[in-house]
Amino acid sequence: MSVIDRLKSLFGICKDSEIDETSTENDKLTSEQTSSNESSVSNSDSKIESSKSIVGTDKEEEVKHPKEKIFSKIKKAEKISEKSLDSSEGTEEDISVKSEDNSEDAKETDNERDNMTLLNDNDVYTLDDIDFDFKERFVEAGLETVEHCFQCGTCGGGCPSGRRTPYRVRQVVRKCLLGLKEEVISDPALWMCTTCYTCQERCPRSVTIVDIIKFARNEAAHAGYMADAHKATGKFVIESGHGVPINDQVKALRKNIGLEEVPPTTHKYPEALSEVQAICKACAFDKLVDYQGL
Amino acid sequence: MEIAYFLGCIMNNRYPGIEKATRMLFDKVGIELKDMEGASCCPAPGVFGSFDQKTWATIAARNIAIAEGMGDDIVTECNGCYGSLFEAKELLDENPAKKDEINAVLAETTKYQYEGTSNVRHFAEVLYNDVGLDKLAEMFEKPLDINVAVHYGCHFLKPTAAKQLGDAENPSILDELVEITGAKSVDYTDKQMCCGAGGGLRSRDKSVTTSFTKEKLDNMTKAGVDCIVNVCPFCHMQFDVGQNEVNEQYGTDFHLPVLHLAQLYGLAMGLSADELTFGAQQQDIAPVIKKIN
Repeated sequence: MSVIDRLKSLFGICKDSEIDETSTENDKLTSEQTSSNESSVSNSDSKIESSKSIVGTDKEEEVKHPKEKIFSKIKKAEKISEKSLDSSEGTEEDISVKSEDNSEDAKETDNERDNMTLLNDNDVYTLDDIDFDFKERFVEAGLETVEHCFQCGTCGGGCPSGRRTPYRVRQVVRKCLLGLKEEVISDPALWMCTTCYTCQERCPRSVTIVDIIKFARNEAAHAGYMADAHKATGKFVIESGHGVPINDQVKALRKNIGLEEVPPTTHKYPEALSEVQAICKACAFDKLVDYQGL
Repeated sequence: MEIAYFLGCIMNNRYPGIEKATRMLFDKVGIELKDMEGASCCPAPGVFGSFDQKTWATIAARNIAIAEGMGDDIVTECNGCYGSLFEAKELLDENPAKKDEINAVLAETTKYQYEGTSNVRHFAEVLYNDVGLDKLAEMFEKPLDINVAVHYGCHFLKPTAAKQLGDAENPSILDELVEITGAKSVDYTDKQMCCGAGGGLRSRDKSVTTSFTKEKLDNMTKAGVDCIVNVCPFCHMQFDVGQNEVNEQYGTDFHLPVLHLAQLYGLAMGLSADELTFGAQQQDIAPVIKKIN
């Protein structure tokens, strides 16, 4: 077996271990997501809140995202291995030359320089990653201020969600502007914004950041990235006209303090509820949240 | 003066004491609250607004059109409803094409058309601007000697460019509205921070929401307050129910009573804890009642 073949087999092993590593990461992500789902469900029996409004989140869907990431990571890992193989022949020659020169110090300097490299080849976006229509869709929707962002980071500096989650609002705006559609809409962190407007209030370029985030979420929802808990809230509105419907306990409470037992909303007027349902059907909202029966 | 009273979901369907106190207060100050028959969810900005703008804007436009048919402006005492209806109105008033698109859906599905003739207003702002602090103070029977952590919530003043109700970084409108009852609004760290419930986060990732609430509760407690006062039933629910969730997630022992501004005014007007449905809340109101008696 030649030296090159030995190197190739060595890198072959490296490739497998890369995959193992990413698989482990996948498992970790899945189990984290599952445990957070469970905690959502366990809180559902609180006294004041409708327990139904928080049943379960979409485990399958959540699992889907990490999987997709893993595939791309594996692809990237393959790229690295190929590149390493290509360069390995050169490296071998380098080593032999250098060993003749006894230049161990020079080798260390090279390693340090590698560590200082800011971007690896596989970190670079290519035209394949870009959806050129994506940014235009924001502009057409009246969100042209997405183009005004100069990436100062004031938004992220004040973001209460950024302090505790992977949500990086400056990055999301940049990715929207660059047309990195799939990366934006498949990222669960997109849903960590509470729409508190702190970023938008402080933006020195008056970028309508919250509207941009909500538009990106619309794109995500229509591409199938929607949690079951959100679909459930949508279903409540379709069924009752209310995101938080009334219950018997509150009906009694209302009566006790001299209010109408049933408030004068869609709860009291079935024809009004029919109108809300007709709107949901006309806009295909029922299909969006997988509601059967309209 | 009369105004269309938009109920929304959480207040009337979970905390009816807020509605009771509001109806009584507006009656006292001479503003007639007119019921909006057949109104629905605003709809929730975090869910509908984040999923499908067209559905969100159409349901919101239907709600506003109900008030237009009555010839009235709208008042709501929920920041979420205020944000949703206000933003939908802004969207339709500024985009004729969007308005036509939404009206086409309304024509096909309802008896309403959106015209843009009714304004959308927040209860606290109506009290501050139309009634005035002096007249409000006359309605109160007993001074409330308590220390309050005021929570503004996000969609009352923000986005300020649209709402035009003044500064959102260091506002005073709610503090003034609280202090006319004799209560003291105590400043605390990161007072303008979100409760954590909005944007669909509470239903999707509750542990993250709870982490927001924990930070708020820590800061309020350090300031030594007797209770929290808010102007949004969703923030109200988050501080009430969410406080138990914080205690469960972090092993803490928070029990700050939670009052909507209408309930605080109810106490000042002499309503009982039962009439304000404090008994249906998770956090015991007793320490506040004890202190004001």
